[in-house]
Amino acid sequence: MSPILFDLALLAYLGATVLALAHLIQRGEAVYRAASLLTQAAWIVHTLALVVRGVELGRPPLGTLVEAMSVVGWAAVLFTLWAERQYGVKVLGAFVLPLVSVLGVSAAWLPPGLTDLAPALRNAWIWVHVILAMLGISAFVLNFVGGVMYLLQERQLKAKRPGPLYYRLPSLETLDRLTYRALTLGFPFLTLGLFLGALWARTAWGSLFTFDPLALFSFLSWLVYAATLSGRAVAGWRGRRAAYFAVVGFGALVLTLGAGLLLPGRHGS
Amino acid sequence: MTAELFVAGLSHKTAPIAVREQLAVEEDKLREILLDVHATGVLSEVMILSTCNRVEVYGVADVPGEARALAFRRLAQQRGLDLAFFEPMLYTKPGNEAVLHCFKVAASLDSMIIGESQILGQVKGAFALAQSCQTVGPLLHRLLSQAFAVAKKVRTETELARHAVSVSYAAVELARKIFGGLEGKAVLLIGAGKMGELAAKHLVDQGAFPIFVTNRTWPRAQEMARVLAATPVPFEGWSETLAAVDIVITSTGAPEPIVRKAEVQRGLHARRSRPLFFIDIGVPRDVEPGVNELEAVFCYDIDDLRQVVESNVRERLREAQKAEALVEREVARFVARVHDLEVVPTIVSLRERLEAIRRGEVEKALLNLPHADPQTRKAIDALSQSIVNKILHTPIVKLRESSRSGHGRSWTEIVHELFGLGREREGQ
Repeated sequence: MSPILFDLALLAYLGATVLALAHLIQRGEAVYRAASLLTQAAWIVHTLALVVRGVELGRPPLGTLVEAMSVVGWAAVLFTLWAERQYGVKVLGAFVLPLVSVLGVSAAWLPPGLTDLAPALRNAWIWVHVILAMLGISAFVLNFVGGVMYLLQERQLKAKRPGPLYYRLPSLETLDRLTYRALTLGFPFLTLGLFLGALWARTAWGSLFTFDPLALFSFLSWLVYAATLSGRAVAGWRGRRAAYFAVVGFGALVLTLGAGLLLPGRHGS
Repeated sequence: MTAELFVAGLSHKTAPIAVREQLAVEEDKLREILLDVHATGVLSEVMILSTCNRVEVYGVADVPGEARALAFRRLAQQRGLDLAFFEPMLYTKPGNEAVLHCFKVAASLDSMIIGESQILGQVKGAFALAQSCQTVGPLLHRLLSQAFAVAKKVRTETELARHAVSVSYAAVELARKIFGGLEGKAVLLIGAGKMGELAAKHLVDQGAFPIFVTNRTWPRAQEMARVLAATPVPFEGWSETLAAVDIVITSTGAPEPIVRKAEVQRGLHARRSRPLFFIDIGVPRDVEPGVNELEAVFCYDIDDLRQVVESNVRERLREAQKAEALVEREVARFVARVHDLEVVPTIVSLRERLEAIRRGEVEKALLNLPHADPQTRKAIDALSQSIVNKILHTPIVKLRESSRSGHGRSWTEIVHELFGLGREREGQ
């Protein structure tokens, strides 16, 4: 049952991506409404798919990296739907949905991994660790997208030649606020998630920081975000510098995912 | 004879300014002309739109050509002109074309600067004037109310009017792209150029506050401060305010740049990379071009602003295509509704006629059945009602269909004849 639902959600996300990109190029209220509705529909089907998968497995559908990727996409869409309303940024979907689609397509292509977990991982705390980390990461998807949009808009304004994107993208101020909000949303989640993971590692393997590529890279990403946050709070960083850091932080997260998928480690699937 | 809607006139597309300015009429005279033209009886409804870009007569008449000649002869007479002088520049749009034209004019799709917002107000003014002279009837009323609704729809559903096509508004729009809202953004105005003052006023309208002004001559700075409700700043010390302001407008006549890159750079530290926007309207330029390279600083000179305006105009033209499609859909809808209205009065009187007959016959029948119980009475009433409804069904459907295919009038006339309905005209 659940594979069909996942495929259905993915198809809807792909459709919504096409519509959102069409809206970015063509504009037109009708296209935007269609894209928005399809996104919401896709998200509901996705939610259903996750619930069904959870019931089928008898545990949260977060046991493998592939499952986790799906949850990141799910939460990222949720945050996007919220931010679109909150900040009145109608083109947000055109930037987030392609990422979600890529995530979904690769999740569909990758081997699903183990369905049975190692006995060491059968503990409620491990789910809290994963859920928090995934929520954090999906907020950083928004942080990244906001940063990219900021850099694009800033470039247009500096170059003084308004291209199509100049008209579509919101003001620098709005994008800066959006990026910052996503950062302050994601950082506590990621921090707590990583903290719980480290605690767990100590009780399970007797060491706070065993060598695990995924853990290492996620700690690196955390450092980048911690630096950005303190830079913003203390030194008043904003604008371009904050946007660059959002991109770098997201790059580190992508490396983390790559490390988790390709290198052997405790998170291995 | 059937009266027809038409628009006749000339505009910036057909007539040079030299002709338009001679025909343009002020309100008092217009009132007089409206009443005169209407009094002849040639036009059953009339409205005149007179702006610097167009003089147009919107009317309902049996013979639009005759009505046009009459109205424009009267307009020409105002200035002692001869109709023949500008007649070749006149266009006439009958029926559906008139509807399309009216919607396009109101939506600013026929304007010299497409999307400019003044025209809607002017059309509303012309309509109000004609209303106060009681020269508009149901058709023009319906047409204009719908034109206003369509204009509003175009405004909200397309971006036809969203991008500034004047330099000073373009500057305000850029500021909004940088700062989002302008409430509470501080502005420094350097120099006393007219354009600079205009841009500053636009910013104030958008909520910018506080405003600082400076000028080489102190009394002039004080005077500007009074005009703009601003704070004067000594010319030597303007760069002190850099930490506090968000937007700097310069329009001086100085031969050398006043704002140097090094000076701005020094002021940046205290700003903690909050954006700073220079609007340089001076020629020669007042701000060193290198200022734009600094982080979070944006500097637009007059040519940059013009470039933005040009690109905005292109953007408007692209949106205009979307708006035209929207207007055409609205015209089709409007025409269908008007056609429907053509047959509705006939349908109503047809129903009334048959209902009267039915009620009379039922009463007569019941008089002959004094002992009928309430149930029987009810049954007779229901029977007669359903017979009438069954008979009426097809004619009503056919009437509605005929109106949509444009033959409503001949059908209503036949129905009037057949059923001996009253002679009253539709729509009154």
